[in-house]
Amino acid sequence: MKDPRVDRLLEEAGGASAAPLDATLRARLAAGIPSPLQPVRPLPPAWILTCGVVLICAAVGIAGAARAGLYGIERLGPWAALPILAVLALLAWLAGEKLVAEMIPGRAHRLSPGALPVIVSGGLLAVFALRFTDYHTDQFLSAGLTCLFTGLAHAVPTAVLLGILLRRGFAVSPVFAGLAGGALAGLAGVTMLELHCANFQALHVLVWHTAVVPVSAAAGAAVGWAVRWREHDSR
Amino acid sequence: MQEPRRNLPRHCGEFPEVAAGVNLEMLMARYQAGDIDAATALIDRASPQLQRFFRAQFATRAAADDLLQETWLQIHRVRHTYRPGEPVLAWFYAIARHVGLDHYRRTRRSADRERKWGEMSRLAAESPVEHDAADQLEALLRPLTRSQREVIEMLKVAGMSLEEVARATSCSVGAVKQKAHRAYTSLRKRTSIVQSGKKPSGAQS
Repeated sequence: MKDPRVDRLLEEAGGASAAPLDATLRARLAAGIPSPLQPVRPLPPAWILTCGVVLICAAVGIAGAARAGLYGIERLGPWAALPILAVLALLAWLAGEKLVAEMIPGRAHRLSPGALPVIVSGGLLAVFALRFTDYHTDQFLSAGLTCLFTGLAHAVPTAVLLGILLRRGFAVSPVFAGLAGGALAGLAGVTMLELHCANFQALHVLVWHTAVVPVSAAAGAAVGWAVRWREHDSR
Repeated sequence: MQEPRRNLPRHCGEFPEVAAGVNLEMLMARYQAGDIDAATALIDRASPQLQRFFRAQFATRAAADDLLQETWLQIHRVRHTYRPGEPVLAWFYAIARHVGLDHYRRTRRSADRERKWGEMSRLAAESPVEHDAADQLEALLRPLTRSQREVIEMLKVAGMSLEEVARATSCSVGAVKQKAHRAYTSLRKRTSIVQSGKKPSGAQS
């Protein structure tokens, strides 16, 4: 971005130089660093952390479904379930990458924070719309709410485990970190539902299974907001 | 082979023992390893830019100094989150921005505090002692939104690349370009109005 006139104005306003640090202030800043200085171990590379969060998500989803019964995948068949599981894995990687980026200051962001739940929900809707074509509806609300709560019940322990794994990170924006963490935890819930739920009615899957992600993401953002609020109040 | 020179502010020439050959990333790695001299050198090298960043966002020198101190305390607490080899300025600015935003929200939450802040800003702007280059820059950037101001400050004052600014502000390079473009359009309009003799609508007396 260049404009000679604006650049000149910025230059004239002192934009290209910064005054040297005042000695008193320098001493004040240096005093904040304890001596002797303890060495610290840097965080592991982002890809390792991403693998970790995705594995947690998959482990909770699979363990939950194994405990409740793998009725969904048994009825659907492994080959028919493969595209759904592949899309889930892809979206979990995307959400995991975003969560890790939110927990490390100065990381490159490929997605804007608000776009993540939209992309994840959109991806799920697309694959579900392609795979499920039975448009009958039986017990839409009661069966749906059961699935939604089951999915969310698996999102909560996932979120706790994600928090433990990333406890050494630092979220410059707790709300966005909560949003990304919530979306990923929601995907653990969706994974569990896809393996467990044998209700293949399109509207049931499209509405209630997909809803786990935005609800979980919103809950994560609310937790992040509460954390930020508490930090403000404690100062 | 000589390392390509970073676009650093002019004051860096005042610390030749640090500026020659040792870049900020290397200093940060040494700081993580427990080298107190590297920490002090980082304070010398990065603080003037960060102080200017805060002064472009907030009016008074005292507030900017307090925020700078809070930033260094935060940097010290979370120094393990820096990954060696990554651009350190983006990491510094991401933390500084977090500290600044926190401060902004805290001051906005209380109407009394906000009024007091406005009075402090006005007094600081009127004070002949504090009228320096930072005040001129602050006045120039005043019509811009907070996010546009920080992007211009990082790009044009700190000399960061688009990629680094995107990392520091947790957004995409495209979003940074858009903010910079809008900021330039706004500044261009303002300069045209000033040159044609009209009073700019966004300017405060």
